Amino acid sequence: MPSVAAPLTSQTDIRSRAVEATLACVARHGLSKTTIDDVAREAGCARATLYRHVGGKRQLVLLTVAAEGERVAGELRAAAAAHDTFAGAAAAVMGAAGRELGSHRAIQFLLGFEPELVLPHVTFEGGDRFLAHARAALAPCFDRFLPPDEAVRAAEWVTRVTLAYAYKPDAPVDLTDEAAVRRLAHQFIVPAFLPSTNSN
Amino acid sequence: MIDDPRERVLAGTYACVARFGMGKTTIDDVAKESGVSRASIYRLFPGGKDQLLRETVGWEMNHFFARLAEHVYDAPDFATLLERGLVFAHDSLRDHEVLQKVLVTEPERLLPLLTVEQHRVLRFITAFLLPYLEREQEAGRLRGGVELEVAADYVARMILSLIGSPGRWDMDDADDVRCLVREELLGGILVPVSGGL
Repeated sequence: MPSVAAPLTSQTDIRSRAVEATLACVARHGLSKTTIDDVAREAGCARATLYRHVGGKRQLVLLTVAAEGERVAGELRAAAAAHDTFAGAAAAVMGAAGRELGSHRAIQFLLGFEPELVLPHVTFEGGDRFLAHARAALAPCFDRFLPPDEAVRAAEWVTRVTLAYAYKPDAPVDLTDEAAVRRLAHQFIVPAFLPSTNSN
Repeated sequence: MIDDPRERVLAGTYACVARFGMGKTTIDDVAKESGVSRASIYRLFPGGKDQLLRETVGWEMNHFFARLAEHVYDAPDFATLLERGLVFAHDSLRDHEVLQKVLVTEPERLLPLLTVEQHRVLRFITAFLLPYLEREQEAGRLRGGVELEVAADYVARMILSLIGSPGRWDMDDADDVRCLVREELLGGILVPVSGGL
């Protein structure tokens, strides 16, 4: 045969490869030094293809953040779904979030070496926006146990607690320690939302 | 005129940042403003401008939390202390001209320093809150099984989180603040008030 037809690649496929490639590049060199060329090379596609299906670096970053956000939210919702008590669900969400954060090489690179790129998005007004996204994404974790408005409040609170303990080196609670997280959830979080419950 | 040259340099740096911003402030500016020589500044802050800026951020944070402590220390009970504290902190932050300006113009310079200094502030807040929790325990208002240090640390972390990013809470609404403090923040720490809310 004189020529081999190029494999059909859908927009979705290119976009998801671009996300994976961006994460890999950032994990290696951080965000400032990552270029569209780096991502194209990592994704195994032409620069022009990336531009056509994603856009420039800014669009690439936005896409990656949105995709990762959705992926992690899905993981947390799945973790919560495996439990049939609010305490279990809350502890599961925090533990899963702690594990995701701890093992996320791209985020760890940024936090360690380019914190100025992350912090504006999780502090002050950026923090308010982050909490708004998080509570919408995670309210489903708790709506089996709480009325809708409470589930949203619980989602925001659990996000706060996770952030407050996750990234501080001398945190007394290690979020990857399941027993410690369960104690935290039982002690401080559950009674705040289910006052009639003593312990589970 | 402040006696301690270190204090003068930090105060001078703060004044320069207020005027020129963090990026544009030079050691010469600070020398001029503080009346302390360049040589002395480098002796006091061998890490140069980076160290100076970091310590100035810490210096102003200390002031902020000292003002906060002063405003709440005589609260009659722990819940009231936290309610007053959150409202005062929220208002102070909003009215803090230098902070608000730098957050808009140079957040990438400020936020890493604020985050680093937060560890110290957390210890300060935890230590400040502990006696008030002890008082609650003595008054029989602490839930069973609550460890004072763990609880103080938890409340301190959540306070810092809420001060920076109130989220869905309206700190100008007294009922909202009351609900935030008494139900969510302290729901696992204090026994419910008899007679309901």
